[in-house]
Amino acid sequence: MPSRTLLSLAVAAFALNPLMAHAAPWTYTDSTGNTVTLDEVPTRIIASQDAAAGLIPLGIRPVAIYADSPIADAKALQGLDLTGIEIIGQAWGEVDIEKAAALDPQVVIAEYWPLDTAWSGGEAVVKALSPLAPITGVTQGDSIVTLIEDYEALATSLGADLSKPEIAADKAAFEASRAAFQAATAAKPNLTALAVWAGTDALYVAATGGAAELMDFHAWGLNLIDPEVADDRGYWETLSWENTDKYQPDLILVDNRQASTLETALAQPTWTLMKAAEAGAVTEWPAFWLRNYGAYASELDKVTAAINAADENLSE
Amino acid sequence: MAEAPATIVTTRGAALALGLLCLAVAVLLVAFLSITVGARPITLEAVWTALTAFDPDSTDHRIIWELRLPRTVIGLAVGAALGLSGAVLQGATRNPLADPSILGINAGAAVFVVLGIAVFGITQLSAYVWLAFIGAGIAMLVVYAVASLGREGATPVKLALAGAAMTAAMQSVTNAILLTSPRTLDEIRFWQVGSLVGRDMDIFVQVAPFLAVGILLALASGRLLDGLSMGEDVARSLGQNVGRSRALAGLAAVILAGAATAAAGPITFVGLTVPHVARAVTGPNYRWILPYSMLLAPILLLGADVIGRVIAPPGEVQVGIVTAFVGAPFFIALVRRRKLASL
Amino acid sequence: MTTLDAAGTVRHIRHRLATRRRLVTLGLLVLLVLAFALALYLGDYPVPPSEVLRSLLSPLTGLVDKGVDFIVLNVRLPRATLAVLTGISFALSGIIFQTLLRNPLASPDIIGISHGASASAVFCIIALGLSGISVSLGALLGAVLTALVIYGLSWRGGVTAYRVVLIGIGMAAMMSAIISYLFTRARLFEVQQALGWLIGSLNASGSDDIIGMAIALALLLPLTALLARALDAMQLGDDTATALGARVEAVRLGLMLVGVAYAAFATAAVGPVTFVAFVAGPIARNLLAGSGKGFVQAALVGALVMLGSDLVAQHALPAVQLPVGVVTGVFGAGFLLWLLVVSNRAGKVN
Repeated sequence: MPSRTLLSLAVAAFALNPLMAHAAPWTYTDSTGNTVTLDEVPTRIIASQDAAAGLIPLGIRPVAIYADSPIADAKALQGLDLTGIEIIGQAWGEVDIEKAAALDPQVVIAEYWPLDTAWSGGEAVVKALSPLAPITGVTQGDSIVTLIEDYEALATSLGADLSKPEIAADKAAFEASRAAFQAATAAKPNLTALAVWAGTDALYVAATGGAAELMDFHAWGLNLIDPEVADDRGYWETLSWENTDKYQPDLILVDNRQASTLETALAQPTWTLMKAAEAGAVTEWPAFWLRNYGAYASELDKVTAAINAADENLSE
Repeated sequence: MAEAPATIVTTRGAALALGLLCLAVAVLLVAFLSITVGARPITLEAVWTALTAFDPDSTDHRIIWELRLPRTVIGLAVGAALGLSGAVLQGATRNPLADPSILGINAGAAVFVVLGIAVFGITQLSAYVWLAFIGAGIAMLVVYAVASLGREGATPVKLALAGAAMTAAMQSVTNAILLTSPRTLDEIRFWQVGSLVGRDMDIFVQVAPFLAVGILLALASGRLLDGLSMGEDVARSLGQNVGRSRALAGLAAVILAGAATAAAGPITFVGLTVPHVARAVTGPNYRWILPYSMLLAPILLLGADVIGRVIAPPGEVQVGIVTAFVGAPFFIALVRRRKLASL
Repeated sequence: MTTLDAAGTVRHIRHRLATRRRLVTLGLLVLLVLAFALALYLGDYPVPPSEVLRSLLSPLTGLVDKGVDFIVLNVRLPRATLAVLTGISFALSGIIFQTLLRNPLASPDIIGISHGASASAVFCIIALGLSGISVSLGALLGAVLTALVIYGLSWRGGVTAYRVVLIGIGMAAMMSAIISYLFTRARLFEVQQALGWLIGSLNASGSDDIIGMAIALALLLPLTALLARALDAMQLGDDTATALGARVEAVRLGLMLVGVAYAAFATAAVGPVTFVAFVAGPIARNLLAGSGKGFVQAALVGALVMLGSDLVAQHALPAVQLPVGVVTGVFGAGFLLWLLVVSNRAGKVN
């Protein structure tokens, strides 16, 4: 019987495989201490939207991406070329497990969120995907640069060549942007900034320690005002719109995940109780979504321009 | 003997009028509280100077004028609208459980607002007004139409169940949209809760014409409702056009409830409970129940809002939550205590 | 009609009704088997029918194909099985309440029990930061507590359907307010997680869920049969039943607790999937046209609705997988309005 023969061949091949695999094994240890070991460098990767945003610019193209919203709304993926990549999830907790299985993935790369002790995408998706392939990835920490470097290391292990001109150019552009940012903050040592999210119910002031890019900004010389009392998880202080003048920064950074956040802020009559808002010293805060040098450079440039235009003595 | 009833009526009338006056004073008192109590401590003196001699450079004065006054005005208007619409609905349907929130009006408004955000990218509160208005109107008409089919008309249970079912159905449509659009979810979660925060005078101006028409229609329908409350046959024998009375009163209720939901988001139980309190004071006379409801409801709503501002510092609890927690126990007590089958 | 004729007519009618009942049950079973087969066959991973069959038999025959077997045995089979088990569970919970409260609209997803489970689960997710099995347990607890509170509040020397329904609706509104409040207090990520749970999904169907549901049904099904039979024997109507006094009340309470348990376990497994509990009973009764109480048939309808809705949710839109709760909600809405119009036109809701 031909199928029986095929089957025994397959079994034989499977038995031989571990021996051959020692030639080029792939291992990756994530921050929780779990090590994934594969017989070969994986090429069929399923990536979460965050991991895809980290890996694609480095030349590692996953075969499929799962996101928690329509892919067009995923801020991290904007501007990236997604042609030929299957989208297997566009709603929270939903993933097309059959499409995923048909792609025969070797590894699932997500991002680990230590504060929630969870992989990005949520438990249901991880539970659905984990029988197909081991899950691993980088961990969110206190710097986007470190995060990108972790992606560089991961991408290199996956066979990426970081010396390719377009990849090197991205990094060089970022370094230039960072230098400009540092020069701008150095020129205005008294300048203070406040990062916020605006809802109709209240103004939410971000704690620097809750967002990696804010910690980067802080490390590069920007004096971010830290709220006195953050919520139980250390992300935000909720300010009633009656108390928007509690902090008086020279520059306001508004969460730019959604354009409507700034519109909401501008619609509040007491938004302008902050002198910086009154003076128009408002710029974008790329909140929580940066995963690559290209996007980081262009976002940094916007903040740098705003710092250069701001009056460091406004709030005094 | 012949004069006695007339005397009773007049003394009772005078007492009720006096009560109405007291309520008006109470409304002013709550409005005063609403202007003076808030997340930011502002002295009474500062409040007074803000009202009498506004200084645009004073932060306290700006808070009073730009936040607390609009919030108070909208609270008063929304309260009056909800109270009246509840009273009118209960009278027109002769149904003690008729209430805008129980009739699916909130869920209908929510579906339209969610569609507006998800499909048309609308994000500002002032634009929600129209969407909410249309959605509320459609939901209420469908619920009422479905429930009033059949011989005995819109009975309490039929209305309540049709409304609850409509709510559940609309909710699942809303959820489907929200699940695939986190952007919409992020916007709607602050609207859906029912709140007076962040509403400026523009919103009041938008809904004011509807409120004015609705209030006039509702107050004018007192005689019709009194006729209906004697039973359709009696009303008919008195020369009343029952169908037209119902339609007119229903129209007033839809306009009022729609405008209230449009301005403040879905707020439960105010329209349901207030008319019952009013009725306990005035007796079954709609010419009194209506103005009493119109004044009692803002006291409840604005009072709940003030409570919400102080119970969970540094944050606030939205008025919709407070009214649900005040109103639901009242509703349950009502169901336990009274025979609700008839009014 | 005279009594003499009546005996023969009654026998004749009984015979016809029994035939109808058998036909309905058989028809539903056939449909369910077809839907189950379809659920095993349909999917983005192409598996021919012969392969599906081989895969199903592979534990016996030893003919293994890792890729196909994963899809059939680990993805489609658990999903379809859980759909059937929870469908049965929701349906029985619905028809128990509808029967006891004598109102086709009095299912747990209308009278606040599902809302209690939801509020509790959302509290677990948002305020306590829990996930997975702890959320399910929270939902279970929420459902039972809410049911007890509704029952307790409705008690005034007895429980009338009318009070249970209205107090349930009041509780539902309060629970919804809690959910709305928690939604404004959480990060979007947590709200998404909570919303996903609220809609109800079969996406993460695992063997643990199936085993849990199977054990629950193994305990509850015989209990239901026992209690329903006991109630039938005692009860010819509420008025005569009161003469039997406390025993009837005890059986009713027991049956209601079983109904709560069905809703609670199914909700814990897949979330509060709307309308399955609500529609299963009325559909079954319409099919039976008076030829039975319809518990068995309702259970089959429930399984069919759940399985069919999930097929639609999975395959209707090419690019987006929707959770099953969306489809049951939309389907239920249409059915509900139709039911209201029809029953109201007939002049009665009950």
